[in-house]
Amino acid sequence: MIEFQQISKKWPDGTLALSDVNVSIPKGQFCVILGPSGAGKSTLLRTVNGLTQTTGGRINIDGTELTAATARTLRQRVAMIHQHFNLTLRMSVAANVLAGLLPVVSTGRAILGWFEPAHRAKACALLARVGLDPKHLLRRAGELSGGQQQRVGVARAFMLDPEVVLADEPVASLDPKISREILSLIRDAARERNATVLCSLHQVDLAREFGDRIVGMRDGKIVFDGTPAEFTDERMEALYQGAQWEDNAVAEAADLYNDALQPQLVAA
Amino acid sequence: MDIKPIPVPAQGTTLDWQLDQPYRAKHLLLLLLVLAVLLFTGHRTEMDKMVVMTGQAVGNLVGLADDSQVVRGLSRVGASMWPPAFGTEEEVARLTDLDRDQLPFLAKIETREKVEQHLNPDTLEMETSSEKVELLIKPLGYAWTVFIKMLETIEIAIWGTLFSVVLSIPLAWFAARNYTVNHFTYTLARGTISLLRSMPELIVALFLVLAYGFGPIAGVLALGLHAAGFLGKFYAEDIENADKKPQEALEAIGAGKLKTLWYGVMPQVVPQYIAYTLYILDRNVRMATVIGLVGAGGIGQELKGRFDMFQYDHVATILIAIFIVVFLLDQFSARLRAKLI
Repeated sequence: MIEFQQISKKWPDGTLALSDVNVSIPKGQFCVILGPSGAGKSTLLRTVNGLTQTTGGRINIDGTELTAATARTLRQRVAMIHQHFNLTLRMSVAANVLAGLLPVVSTGRAILGWFEPAHRAKACALLARVGLDPKHLLRRAGELSGGQQQRVGVARAFMLDPEVVLADEPVASLDPKISREILSLIRDAARERNATVLCSLHQVDLAREFGDRIVGMRDGKIVFDGTPAEFTDERMEALYQGAQWEDNAVAEAADLYNDALQPQLVAA
Repeated sequence: MDIKPIPVPAQGTTLDWQLDQPYRAKHLLLLLLVLAVLLFTGHRTEMDKMVVMTGQAVGNLVGLADDSQVVRGLSRVGASMWPPAFGTEEEVARLTDLDRDQLPFLAKIETREKVEQHLNPDTLEMETSSEKVELLIKPLGYAWTVFIKMLETIEIAIWGTLFSVVLSIPLAWFAARNYTVNHFTYTLARGTISLLRSMPELIVALFLVLAYGFGPIAGVLALGLHAAGFLGKFYAEDIENADKKPQEALEAIGAGKLKTLWYGVMPQVVPQYIAYTLYILDRNVRMATVIGLVGAGGIGQELKGRFDMFQYDHVATILIAIFIVVFLLDQFSARLRAKLI
């Protein structure tokens, strides 16, 4: 259960990334956050584990309020899956997965790389769960493909049996088939543990397919909140309306460039 | 295929821009300024005289100039450097603990006639007398001495490197902006690094010889302190520039700073660290031969002694040894680097 109460975030340069966000996500729900680029999806996710400090409002996670004092312990219950996988590429797959246990492993053990058999067994089990062949276990993470790297990222996220999983555009750089596989993995692994998932996406079809609930964001505000069935095409149009201005601007710039270039091409 | 008409430039298209052109009046002015400075400093550093002397030397070599100070100096030293001295000769009579049945490796005893002239005090005439002298000849005696001294030099370099690595790791931690404790520790670490880097080894060694006496201690400390500044700076910058993404992932789950550094940063920077450390080892071997000149142990001390006694044949042996060691080290570190990165 995550409760956002009047969350706001103002960047030091004055931009308002989140303004008065009120939403409550019940335990075990797979909640997708949709919205155009720059709507504040990532910022909202990052406030949950304190990677971004809010400038107003309260966040309660399973009844505990997120404050500077509770952040350290809360973070152990909140896992995160990243858009760019965020693995240490020069480290082995096994080390990357075991790194998910770092908060509960003593510094000495961590530095010696000496993990208990139970921990190593769990890493193997999770890697099998996400469908990564055991032959990759001791390979460098950087040698894996993008899809395989995200599988490692998912395995790492579930090492501490989190109560909340934050997935920040987890499939943005993957192809549609692998995207579905990864999202299914996240959804199923979360269901097995009754963990709440907060997942930002930019593919509407995937959001409809995987979300128990869709939250639409725009300009730091929640503009839609409902089930996938309620998120009709008209709603989608409204959510992204005018958000294509960036693309239009690009097209205009390309026209200008071509016009400027043409006379020179002729001269040449 | 359709040929499209060329469109008229759209309204508002401006073509009154160009890329930066680095050949304008201010660049010419700057060039003239640099030339003026070079002319002035060139005279002060006797570059004009250098050109004249080198010209004379070349002229002398091709038979156009009668005399050249440079050629005279070099040929005098060069002639006395050849052949390099590899062996030693000692009078057996002066060796107290020589066992004639068990001579050292490759050594042999030779008897030579030693002719001496001396004044007879009664007749006031010069007399020639000869006596037989036994000499213990070791054909590689001096080469062995140089080898031992070279070994000491390499040992100084290795210990200096070890010392600098141990010192620079905590320095780098505190001098990395994203892992330091607070602003004070950051400034302190950066200050220390700058201080260490600003003191040349040779001058530090000069003072450390006063403190610790002649010998390798001063050499190890001088090399270690300077290199610690270098390594601290580069290690710290690598930590700062390491990919932030894995660090963020570990920070997000609440792993502590040290564990994040170990799992998120170290794997990324270790290859570079090894490369820097190998460079420092390489540099320390070369510097260790030099700082011996001020008495900080190793081959340099031997070199300075022989040079001051005008024994240029011994100097030649030392120079050959230095060349061989630096060459081998270059090969070794290049290979190791290729393997590790």
